[in-house]
Amino acid sequence: MRKLIFSLGLAFCFAFAVSAQNRIEFKEFTLDNGLHVIMHQDNSTPIVAVSVLYHVGSKNESPDRTGFAHFFEHLLFEGTENIPRGEYMNKIQSIGGTLNAFTSNDITYYYEIVPSNQLETALYMESERMLHPKIDEIGVDTQREVIKEEKRQVYDNRPYGTILPETMKRAFSQHPYQWPVIGSMEHLDAARLEEFMAFHKAYYVPNNATLTIAGDIDYEQAEQWARAYFEEIPKGPSEFYRPDIKEPVKTAEIRDIIYDNIQIPAIIQAYNLPPKNHPDAYAMSMLSTYLTGGNSSLMTKELVDKQQKALAVAAIPLDLEDGGVFLMYGITNMGIDPKDLEAEIDMLLTKVQEEGISERDFQKLQNIIENNLVSQNSSMAGIAQNLSQARVFFGDTDYINQELAFYRKVNKEDLQRVANKYLNQEGRVVLYYLPKSEEVTE
Amino acid sequence: MKKSILYLMTFLLVQTGFAQIDRSSYPEPAPAREIKLGNADSFVLPNGLKVFVVENNKLPRVAFSLVLERDPILEGDKSGMLGMVGEMLTGGTTNRTKDELDEEVDFIGASLSAGSTSLFASSLKKHQEKVLELMSDVLYNPIFPQEELDKLKKQAISGLAASKDDPNSISSRLASTLNYGKSHPYGENETEATINNIAVEDIQAYYNTYFKPNIAYLAIVGDINKAEAEALVNKYFAQWEQGDVPSKEYAMPAPPAENKVALVDRAASVQSVVNITYPMEMSLSDEDYLATRVLNYILGGGSSSRLFMNLREDKGYTYGAYSSIGADKLVTSFRANASVKQTATDSAIHEMVYEIRTLRDNGITAEELEAAKANLSGSFGRSLESPSTIANFAINTQRYKLPEDFYTSYLQRLSALTVEDINASAKKYLKPDNMYITVVGNGTVIQESLMAFGEVNRFTNVGEPEKQIAMEEGMTAAAVLARYFEVIGGKSKVEAIKTSKMEAVAEIQGMKLNMSYVYDETEGKFSNKVSMMGNVASHVVVKDGKATVTGMGNSQELNDEQFEAVKMSMFIFPELHFEDLGYSVELQGIQDLEGEEAYKILVSNPTGTSQLNYYSVASGLKIKTESQENGDMIYTDYEEVDGVLYPMMMTMKSPMIPMPLESKVEKIQFNVEVTEEDMK
Repeated sequence: MRKLIFSLGLAFCFAFAVSAQNRIEFKEFTLDNGLHVIMHQDNSTPIVAVSVLYHVGSKNESPDRTGFAHFFEHLLFEGTENIPRGEYMNKIQSIGGTLNAFTSNDITYYYEIVPSNQLETALYMESERMLHPKIDEIGVDTQREVIKEEKRQVYDNRPYGTILPETMKRAFSQHPYQWPVIGSMEHLDAARLEEFMAFHKAYYVPNNATLTIAGDIDYEQAEQWARAYFEEIPKGPSEFYRPDIKEPVKTAEIRDIIYDNIQIPAIIQAYNLPPKNHPDAYAMSMLSTYLTGGNSSLMTKELVDKQQKALAVAAIPLDLEDGGVFLMYGITNMGIDPKDLEAEIDMLLTKVQEEGISERDFQKLQNIIENNLVSQNSSMAGIAQNLSQARVFFGDTDYINQELAFYRKVNKEDLQRVANKYLNQEGRVVLYYLPKSEEVTE
Repeated sequence: MKKSILYLMTFLLVQTGFAQIDRSSYPEPAPAREIKLGNADSFVLPNGLKVFVVENNKLPRVAFSLVLERDPILEGDKSGMLGMVGEMLTGGTTNRTKDELDEEVDFIGASLSAGSTSLFASSLKKHQEKVLELMSDVLYNPIFPQEELDKLKKQAISGLAASKDDPNSISSRLASTLNYGKSHPYGENETEATINNIAVEDIQAYYNTYFKPNIAYLAIVGDINKAEAEALVNKYFAQWEQGDVPSKEYAMPAPPAENKVALVDRAASVQSVVNITYPMEMSLSDEDYLATRVLNYILGGGSSSRLFMNLREDKGYTYGAYSSIGADKLVTSFRANASVKQTATDSAIHEMVYEIRTLRDNGITAEELEAAKANLSGSFGRSLESPSTIANFAINTQRYKLPEDFYTSYLQRLSALTVEDINASAKKYLKPDNMYITVVGNGTVIQESLMAFGEVNRFTNVGEPEKQIAMEEGMTAAAVLARYFEVIGGKSKVEAIKTSKMEAVAEIQGMKLNMSYVYDETEGKFSNKVSMMGNVASHVVVKDGKATVTGMGNSQELNDEQFEAVKMSMFIFPELHFEDLGYSVELQGIQDLEGEEAYKILVSNPTGTSQLNYYSVASGLKIKTESQENGDMIYTDYEEVDGVLYPMMMTMKSPMIPMPLESKVEKIQFNVEVTEEDMK
């Protein structure tokens, strides 16, 4: 299993992860213990996706114990009181299913897709790990080693692998978004078993979770099984620690050089964003498409095609619950000074801020957004994830059907307005990724 | 009526289910729903284009996917050309510049992309005519602009540079080169030279030869029925002209006669990327195709497989360990791979080889077979969620000349496989003694431990053997050493030097290191003192057949073995003493050292300690020594001292020090008086 942690690619999916057009029907209810259950029926293929979203991510961690949420993503595959160690993955796979999980700064998400006649088993297994997962020294020790290798593979041994952690630690001086989801290996080494247990008790409870069932189901049967397996799980604490830390507005640009095992320099710019559910989020998402989405987008056309100063450029709104970052990166073409590329990027940004965008480009953006939203929700796994996130992040499961309407509220002038409001040079982080070989000579 | 009975039944089921929640065992599965494959409509145009239509009205979208079936092509000195065909095709037409084309595609929120054997377009249903107009314009009227090619070449060269730093790219390039050889389409690599060699005419010629309807399959999937599709296809694809397409044949690559280790030394690595691989024949139409799917699933197809459970869940060596057995009509490969903890590189390889061998020798269990069947059936079922799967099935059946019921009987054939079938496949296809064990990692740390698995050969980051240059006939170590004496001033002059005093200076992290050396060969004495800011950091003294090391206030006499190691450096010109001391010398060949060709001589002392000396082919001078104990020493800036050439700069590289230490000789004297005082 490749457990994902919050990667750039994933962030990109999130940016569009909702739909409209074809209405997604669903039913939902909340158990007495606070577990919220969402169901979506589609009998065209005999499969069903089952997911549990725990509303806990790296931002809920203590600053001296970072990496706990991601650690739990691994630990909760170790086994339960009734499912022996190592059997969780095997069982799902041996009934013809697939499973995975990921952890972000805000949430931890587990899912499996199984043949629809195995729905009860999938629900039983998810309820097992919510009710009584087995957290012991053996599991903790093994997963500690696995995570160290994950960190080396995903960050340290991969060119440009540290972009996100290096950016976040500078973009946030106060908010817990400053530490990476994978956390500190020293913290994980230092943590005792009791601390892991306590973290579990605090967050991995029904009243902090959303169960979603999407696929070839019978609504009543699915509801009965959900009740049967989850109702007996005791309710958790009545309150959860959610950091109420407002990241102060930066007044001076933060600029740094990172030497990495690369041959081609890259430049990264990051601008702090408003919270995920802020109305400006839609305009920022459209702005990112205007800048780098598609071959005819402003920066791709100008910097990759025409001037050929960049090998690739991308603008990614990394939307987070408490406000993430608008991340832009450009990888320079052979022989191009990164300063040159940055100057061009800044010039194009200034152009958007001063001149806004044309009526035709705005029409194009609307067409692209429509196409993207229609294409979403083509799989049961995607629908399950979008339903649960609609509920947790936007407080309304039906948000899944309203997103296009939110986009339609954005007008042409909004794009210019948000470009001026959020993309300001004084408050940004700029990183140069340079080859290590240049470090020696400088 | 039927409905209400069903309803009643579920109600009963639920009631019993609710009353008997038993957490001690897994719930019984409900009866499985039959997996039904949808149908693809198909028809053939007079020009030979084969069309497949799969209607699916869930979303108001349509996709058109064109694929060409041709034999693989060896690109030779134009390697990299095929990778540019797609973007050249969408680089502009006689009707539209690239800018106009990009703008029109994006304006309707569509996608349009091409490759050397494909052309794909998709859009919302309401834009289907527009997107077909753009797609067929690209198909019929590409102009292949020179400036687009220039841009792609620039990007390809940048991309190539980036890939030389990426351990996974290095690993997969090395595996392809070893498995298939450079004269095979799957084994050749692009280089700066081959990329620069590509011309617009090459791409034009390729397009003229291969973009023909008689080797093409078109899949149309989405919100569209057969009649509508047929009308559109006739409108946009009937005028496409057919032509003869050449076929190609290639020699079948063979696995190595014994296990071979291939190492790419990447000093920056914090993990080792291990890939165990060999070429094999396997295709969709092979009778063992399904059995090898099951075999691979059990070995390393997922997170329940033997490799994953052993290397990750049991040992914690890696984030993931997997294997794969490809399927290709020409040739494919077996691969088992993992990114592993550096210090566990050899242990991880040992376990991987063990799992391959054990599976071949002892076979699988019935439980493993059942789990594998369930999993493969499950993923077959899940793949049907996407409507394009049915179109692909229909195309594959024709393209690879599969039996008509290949996909409809897939699950049945899978479920009929027995333990014996899989064990027979394991014996036939797993080759634990004929594999390339490739490793990309820090050679200094891991190279020695790899010797346990076979002969270790070193490769560069682009899959080339580290240069071994052909040596002239009859060259010997003695001749290399004789030439060395000759070029530094003549053996008699060198032999006449009996004592020496030398002062050298180096800087480490802003601090100055002073090194003084005293040699007295007649008396068998040697002293090496290293001081930092006036304080002695270490002092090695050899006299009266004993060696003493003093440092940090402690003094220690070296044992015999350590003494032998120190002896290698207690002479002004060690080469003069090789014979007397019973050292053996062996000329191992010529090697390229950062652009300079050098004779490589292995010097071993009687206790087995050894080092490598390199002498320049061009100048005859000693340019480098390498040893396990002292790291690398590079000799440059030779200057004449009393008629003998001596290196004035010695650069030391060692895993013990963070960066190369350059020591510069400030003062050197030969045949001066050495007193007891000098040894203190």
